[in-house]
Amino acid sequence: MKIFSVKTPSKTFGLLLKLAAMGSINGFALWAIPLLLRNHTYGFAAYFIFATFVLDVVYFSRRKFIPAKYIAPGVLLLMLFSVYPSIYTGYVAFTNYSTGHIIDKKTAVSEIVANSYQSLGDATPIPMTVAKDAASGELTLLLTLPQVGPEAGNAKGLTPLAADSVTQDSKGVITAAKGYTILTSDQANNETDALTALKVPGPNGSVYVANDLQSAQQEVQSLKYDAATDTITDIQSGATYKPDSNGEMKSAAGTILQPGWTQVVGWRNFSYVIHDKNFRQPLFQVLWWTFAFAILVVTTTFFAGLALGLALNHPKLRAKKLYRSLLIIPYAMPGVLAALVWVGMYNQDTGVINRMFGIHVPWLTSPWWAKAAILLQQLWAGSPYMFLIATGAIQALPSEVLEAASVDGASPRQVFTKIKLPLVLLTLSPLLIASLAYNFSNFNAIYLLTGGGPLMQNSGGLAGSTDILISYTYKLAFSTGEGANYGLASTVSFLNFILVASLSMYGFSKSRTMENMN
Amino acid sequence: MTTLAVDPQPKAAKKEKKAKKDKVALQKHKPMSARTWLRTLAWRHAVAIFAISFALFPFLWMASAAFNNDNDVSNQQLIPPHPGFNNFQILFSNPNYPYTSWIKNSVIIASVTSFLQLAVAASAAYALSRFRYKGRKTTLMTILVVQMFPQLLAIASIYLILADLGKSIPFMHIGNISALIVVFVGGSLGVNCWMLKGFFDTVPQELDESAKIDGASHAQIYFQIILPLVRPVLAVIFLLSFIGAMNEYVLTSIIIGNGNQSHLTVAVGMQGFISSAYQKNWGPFAAGSLMASVPVIALFMFLQRYVVTGLTAGSTKG
Repeated sequence: MKIFSVKTPSKTFGLLLKLAAMGSINGFALWAIPLLLRNHTYGFAAYFIFATFVLDVVYFSRRKFIPAKYIAPGVLLLMLFSVYPSIYTGYVAFTNYSTGHIIDKKTAVSEIVANSYQSLGDATPIPMTVAKDAASGELTLLLTLPQVGPEAGNAKGLTPLAADSVTQDSKGVITAAKGYTILTSDQANNETDALTALKVPGPNGSVYVANDLQSAQQEVQSLKYDAATDTITDIQSGATYKPDSNGEMKSAAGTILQPGWTQVVGWRNFSYVIHDKNFRQPLFQVLWWTFAFAILVVTTTFFAGLALGLALNHPKLRAKKLYRSLLIIPYAMPGVLAALVWVGMYNQDTGVINRMFGIHVPWLTSPWWAKAAILLQQLWAGSPYMFLIATGAIQALPSEVLEAASVDGASPRQVFTKIKLPLVLLTLSPLLIASLAYNFSNFNAIYLLTGGGPLMQNSGGLAGSTDILISYTYKLAFSTGEGANYGLASTVSFLNFILVASLSMYGFSKSRTMENMN
Repeated sequence: MTTLAVDPQPKAAKKEKKAKKDKVALQKHKPMSARTWLRTLAWRHAVAIFAISFALFPFLWMASAAFNNDNDVSNQQLIPPHPGFNNFQILFSNPNYPYTSWIKNSVIIASVTSFLQLAVAASAAYALSRFRYKGRKTTLMTILVVQMFPQLLAIASIYLILADLGKSIPFMHIGNISALIVVFVGGSLGVNCWMLKGFFDTVPQELDESAKIDGASHAQIYFQIILPLVRPVLAVIFLLSFIGAMNEYVLTSIIIGNGNQSHLTVAVGMQGFISSAYQKNWGPFAAGSLMASVPVIALFMFLQRYVVTGLTAGSTKG
């Protein structure tokens, strides 16, 4: 029997669609790749070339690569936004990437040198007026230089002004000059950024910079970089700064020049995690709670869901459908909003939970109650999912086995513990493992409810008593105060990944997930 | 071979269900004594009602706050003494917190994301389910392992990637909705693909074979046979991805959260809104949350039957 007829129009349509899609992909690549190269992001340029090439080969070859036609788009996206970030995180874990160590060495050194201008020792302030070149409109400093006389300075250099073309007041400040428009202080204030950035080149490598709106000073570069020895020397004092192991220029006396740069520091972040007492202690607590949280959430929600599934699974039970529909509402409700509603319900003074039961429990502010509050909220949020999958598994139980058991005289309890539970567990184990892995990184559950708090004592003001690894990592990476430490955060991320991956791989290999591979 | 409708449940289970139904029909003739009812069913109703009150309470509390004109957290009651729509008015008239834009952004982000996620994952799942080629197991393994490294852990790297890409490609810049969508799509292949593959495996291979004999191409088999057969599952995965994207907080707040208020999503915007002044914003917050929740819940109810099968896919089979 013919169950399928080839519709030729759809083939032509498909071809047109394919040509249009491939055309826009190639067009996009042709547009983006030069831009990426111009911005020195060579890695991404290489990726775009590679991806376009792969797609062209896969979709324009006739018979080969059929599976790749379906997989390539997904895998290419996965490479850029999952695989590459993961590998990059692994790399950052071995670097000192953090606030003050964001840029590369070359940029850092040139910034240090550029920032090293210092005023000449005994120089008195030079009378100055802010003006604009009447012809070009360029910002200009009109300076009355000692022993030299009035000069106009812009970013290019100094131009002497004829004495009869300027008017000066008693202090030597120029009040009018031919060819220049003097700015009022309001006008000058509007040019603050340009004024601060303006360095007028003077004699012997010195520069003139504005102090304020009426005076300038002469500055000279105080630091010099020597590429051959890879050191920075202080021109006046002669002190030398050498690169240290932390990606900074450091003198023998221990002075450090800012900014530093990003560099590979080997296992230092890892050894810090293990050896530093201030870090290790909270980390152990965080780790302990991460495990407890994930395991408790999965077990409590699973058993609540299973119990509900069993209770509602009776042929004569009326309103079963209505019950089920109402029970899954927490699963359908947007989780972030629900968590925020719970925060309101948990409030110690105004929250409905304390008011309803006439108690005064510090739900979100005491270390232990906060843990309980999180678990209760997760029980609410997670049970419906477990209820759904448990119901599915219970309904799929082979009825012959159950009947045989009751014929053989097994008590309902025995049927449950010896047959139903093991079978349901067996069926659901891949989902339970996935749920466990998910909860290991269930950031929202913690962050929205308690923000990881209340703060743990002796934790450097960072780790809270409900922090799990991922929320702690987030704080490390983006915390204010001491600045962000991406290197250390990536190290913790990396350890978290190893932990979750090995647990789930173990779980999956013990369960039947791998059968899906066939 | 006349019917093409594939029920995700195995045939045996279906028969069994029918047998059960017949049994129930038979038993209906004998009315249950009050004592049996108490012993077998009463406690089930009690459990269900207790669980439902627990499940519904936060939702009802939110709804009650939304319609409570007093907007008073500390004296709020389940039935508002002065019901009305004040909170909704306040919510829509606050220019500092543009709720309408949030909803619009959320819906755009969530629907585009879930559509693309579904398209990418379904086609990959089709290849993994139907073709046998070198490197297939490696692909499956890779997807499984990569999925264990949540994007959340690599958040700093993702930020840096976007900062670099955004220099050249404007729509990939941080602060841009399309950047967020691409990141979401790029990170989601794992879960959905694995789930869908389980479903595609339940569609009998014979269908493909006979279509092939009739001259169908692989694309036609995919678009005209397999996809229509698993349409309910596609709907469920779309729904779950939609909820997931609506709910995403961290990546969203890092990628688009630092700029203009009108570029936020409901999740990030509402978090900022309620955190800024808890007591004062409680009522309007509840109103906004209610409006954001109800359509999702309704859609979920509507697709409920498929959700169960969707969730247990790949684990209950065989």
